[in-house]
Amino acid sequence: MNAQPFTSESYSGDAGEAAWQDVLRGFGLQSQGARHGSPAHASALSRLSSSGVRLGKFSADAQSLRSLPPSAGLPLLLIPVEHSTVLVAGDDRQIVATGQLILAPRGADWQLQFQRGLRAVVLSVPAEAFRGRKVPPLAAAQPRVFGAEGLPDIVGRTALATAEALDRLSESEWEAVAQSAAELLLALSSELVAATSDPSSSRAALLQRLYATIERSIGSEDISIADIAQAEGISERYVQKLFEGTGESFSHYLRERRLQRAWHDLANPAEAAVPIAEIAYRCGFADAAHFSRLFRERFGLPPRELRRREVDRQTHSAVASGQRGWPQEALVQLRARQVASGPVRRPALREDGEVGTPVSEAPARHYLPVHAQHVHWGYFSRSLEPLIEIASGDIVTVETLTQHASDDPERMIEGDPGAESVFHWTSTDKTVNRRGAGPLDASVFGRGAGEGFGVHICTGPIAVHGAQPGDVLEVHILDIVPRRSRHPAHAGRVFGSSVAAWWGYHYSELLSEPHPRECVTIYEIVTDTDEPYARALHSYRWEPQTDPSGVQHMLYDYPGVLVRPGTVTLQEKVLNGVRIPLRPHFGVIAVAPREAELVDSVPPAYFGGNLDNWRLGKGARVYLPVSVPGALLSVGDPHAAQGDGELSGTAIECSMTGTFCVTLHKKANIGGTVLADLTYPLIETPEDWVLTGFSHPNYLAEFGASSQSEVYAKSSLDLAMRDAFRKMRRFLMSTKALSEDEAVALMSAAVDFGITQVVDGNWGVHAILSKRLFAQHEPGERGLGS
Amino acid sequence: MTKHHLPATPDTVHWGYFSKTLAPVLTLKSGDRAMIESITHHANDDYARMIEGDRAAEEIFLWTKDQKTLRRRGAGTTDGPFTYGAGEGLGVHLLTGPVAVEGAEPGDIIEVRVIDTWPRPSANPAYAGRFFGSNPAANWGFQYKDLIEGPAPREVVTIYELDMGDASVKALYSYLWTPQTDPDGITHPTIDYPGVRVDHTTIVKKEGILPGIKVPARLHFGTMGLAPAEADFVSTIPPNYTGGNMDDWRIAKGARMYYPVAVPGGLFSCGDAHASQGDSELSGTAIEISLTGEFEFILHKKEELDGTMLEGLTHPLLENDDVWSVYGFSVANYLSELGPDHQSEILKRGSLDSAMRDAFRKLRRFLMTTQKLSEDEAISLMSVAADFAVTQVVDANWGVTGSIRKSLFPAR
Repeated sequence: MNAQPFTSESYSGDAGEAAWQDVLRGFGLQSQGARHGSPAHASALSRLSSSGVRLGKFSADAQSLRSLPPSAGLPLLLIPVEHSTVLVAGDDRQIVATGQLILAPRGADWQLQFQRGLRAVVLSVPAEAFRGRKVPPLAAAQPRVFGAEGLPDIVGRTALATAEALDRLSESEWEAVAQSAAELLLALSSELVAATSDPSSSRAALLQRLYATIERSIGSEDISIADIAQAEGISERYVQKLFEGTGESFSHYLRERRLQRAWHDLANPAEAAVPIAEIAYRCGFADAAHFSRLFRERFGLPPRELRRREVDRQTHSAVASGQRGWPQEALVQLRARQVASGPVRRPALREDGEVGTPVSEAPARHYLPVHAQHVHWGYFSRSLEPLIEIASGDIVTVETLTQHASDDPERMIEGDPGAESVFHWTSTDKTVNRRGAGPLDASVFGRGAGEGFGVHICTGPIAVHGAQPGDVLEVHILDIVPRRSRHPAHAGRVFGSSVAAWWGYHYSELLSEPHPRECVTIYEIVTDTDEPYARALHSYRWEPQTDPSGVQHMLYDYPGVLVRPGTVTLQEKVLNGVRIPLRPHFGVIAVAPREAELVDSVPPAYFGGNLDNWRLGKGARVYLPVSVPGALLSVGDPHAAQGDGELSGTAIECSMTGTFCVTLHKKANIGGTVLADLTYPLIETPEDWVLTGFSHPNYLAEFGASSQSEVYAKSSLDLAMRDAFRKMRRFLMSTKALSEDEAVALMSAAVDFGITQVVDGNWGVHAILSKRLFAQHEPGERGLGS
Repeated sequence: MTKHHLPATPDTVHWGYFSKTLAPVLTLKSGDRAMIESITHHANDDYARMIEGDRAAEEIFLWTKDQKTLRRRGAGTTDGPFTYGAGEGLGVHLLTGPVAVEGAEPGDIIEVRVIDTWPRPSANPAYAGRFFGSNPAANWGFQYKDLIEGPAPREVVTIYELDMGDASVKALYSYLWTPQTDPDGITHPTIDYPGVRVDHTTIVKKEGILPGIKVPARLHFGTMGLAPAEADFVSTIPPNYTGGNMDDWRIAKGARMYYPVAVPGGLFSCGDAHASQGDSELSGTAIEISLTGEFEFILHKKEELDGTMLEGLTHPLLENDDVWSVYGFSVANYLSELGPDHQSEILKRGSLDSAMRDAFRKLRRFLMTTQKLSEDEAISLMSVAADFAVTQVVDANWGVTGSIRKSLFPAR
């Protein structure tokens, strides 16, 4: 799971208090409530590991915390920061200074009074975090305070440092840190027992040392009681006696630990390529068949089956963490196995009369209808055969489909030959098989060919005659026309869909139940009026959908899965009376990137792609740096309306047809123009220049082989703002011939920075420069040589 | 309705801090209007154009070896020895006020309507009737550690002239900040204390800059807000739940701002006026000018808020003819969230990522509470029709504005 932010600010009135108690409950804690009647403020950032380890940082008004009824696990670790706290246990009251550690047994009778405000880091480690390893019985123990020295210091620093970095750790980093923190807390808890003079406690401490010795020697096949006894300097008989006291024999415990260790290794995605026999051997089982039998008896499933299930689980947790695209582990394995995805070759089709290479000198007009052979779905590729080649200055009309037409097939697909052709999918036939840049055999998550690593239906590519790397391609949007429904019941009307999806910005902190959830809203686009608008028709919660190939999609994790009527419950009267003014535009306008064979269509970058900027509408132009011969232009992801931010993960996705004038600016001719030195998508509207900043301007080059995973993990508006600032400074200095000081002054006084999107992996901040500023400005700028 | 006039004088201004301990300089009733003068704290960047001949400005900025009219500038210590000066420049804006609204109590909302604004003309005979502003690219700007030309780092002050005829602003000249020694003998190698007069014999003016470029005027007050309850003296730099240094150019003529009241009377102050500013206020300042505003004050009592747009409002809200905007901050209420060292801690917290998170939550709550939308409806609407913009990245507590058009709700 990702770090979970919480703040009472999200809630109205008492709901905030209840939600805060929920957060505390996750840690086995309960609040006695604020001491004063003033509005209670609380915020927290917490994170849960797959083994149940939970770390949180709290910041809240004055209140007392106590333990909920007992649950198995290590004592809670609490570290007050900024304010001291008072620990009350029985009749004892002790002031705990900031930075000291409190080890508080679960379910025991103690209370922490944060009188000047609650600011603390809390670590909760349940018994299951150790997968069967024994945890000392501590419930009856008293809470204890440690100063920051020796082991407590290390434990404290680890917890504090982790709390600071909680939302910046990747999933695998967090898992490793959480497990280490659990081990450290176990070591400290054992000290808690050892320190008391109670004989039963010293026995428990000795037992803990025996357990630790066993852990260290689990790999040797013939570990015996004698070895263990010798290591601790006690008699074999005493070892046996100690174990008898726990109700479990030595040999039984040893086997249990070996099986648990094997279970752990088998479930580890990083070890997915290690043979099962090798894992068995590591855990002290020389005979693989014997191991398999024992494993099945213990866990009720064979080792191989566990592995398969774990892959499934990882799939879902990757999704639950809100990260799209390739998982890091899969990319690592891909490299290790040296499996090339292979170039994408598609026969160039020239079956339409209107499609073909122009021969005349005058600008030609082309028409590119949409059907299965004219689209590539979810990826860009430098290796795709172009559908047509056009000349600079030609006008091309391109039909595009929204990948969300499948959210309401009746309204957006049925009766429309183009859409039917693209979405056609039966148990034996799927016209557009690859959807995304993932493996064709779906060997990562099993979602389907391409794994949905990239979702947009792109029409193209279109080659531009003579385009070479270093040139700039201008795409001028002359017109955008929505695609009307062809279904008899809805003929002539226009529909769109907007999904509040698992990759949305809101997904990690939904307020109302059930959560998480995905919600699809179907909109009608009303165009036959002076001020066209969209209005919501109905919405539904996403329910698991089984695709024709038999794969079940618990989440919206693969594009083009037809939502069948009857599988979802429609909610009527949503957004009743709300009219959304249209902003028709294309989310995706791209030339092929040079760095990789197959590139996920979701993160935008220097080559354009999923820009998701509504300013790319009728009358606007986008300039894209060409990086492969022919440029290979593709268009898709049409939107009827979108807000700056695209918060839920999608806009109003609506099939549309665009007419574009495509102009090639040769490298040799752009010196001194606004296109000189262009290394990113530049948008021009009649009024403004819009520069596109990204968290990672060229993520493919920046992250190399792991780019298609990393770009999702490391997104930030702060980075995107930095990029937008640098681009605008360069633009003003190089195209307007301003000094750096002039450029900075102008940016502060007159350039508007806005948030483009926070959902496409590579987050965007754009900078808008009004052309009005330069109405009387002479130096620098030359017209485009077109 | 009574119409009050509040001139800027040494007795009606406070410099660099909000404080619930200040006695109101004007108390008015809900529904009253007030003309409030403000003088920019950057006036001393060009004394001749922005102070000389202007009695009030001269008195306010007066600072000699023996006399300093406004000693405290900032929420820092007033007991020497000082690093920068009394108040330590922990907060820089010269604010006029506070204005108390009769009957305002914590939990209420004060609505402030900006009726109109007028720039303050130069009173120096050489420039009489003209309007000037200053725009320093300062050490707290977004560019400061990321400069590509030498010398780096550097601070550059650009002086602008506002032309009310065609509502635009043009650059006059600029200069590199040079160490300035104040009358108390403290040298300011960077812009670290407000109101230090720049000795124009120490600088080199660069003329002919930004030639032909006209910046459309966006007259507004960068800082408007109420006194917070959490501390006696609060820096004016980080904006917070009671408003303050919002630096949003949309808070202009025609706007209505709503602020949660934290102390009795509300205690409204304003200043930090701008001739223009872009979203982000990148270099650390806007085009800072002196401005007079006419405001109307309306008190909304706590018990009357339910069922209105103001229900559950715990942060500043903007309304104008077109939109409602909520203000997200890196830390929503930094005074209560960051503990005793909040004034320095907030300096490390500026982030658009956390401000975006806050803006999202506030807009969601606004839509669910005031438009009675379900969470799913609110999220869909935010994705397809709400616009999130960068307000500022230079005021410690960075801002993201979430705006929703009122025209979306014609049938409501």
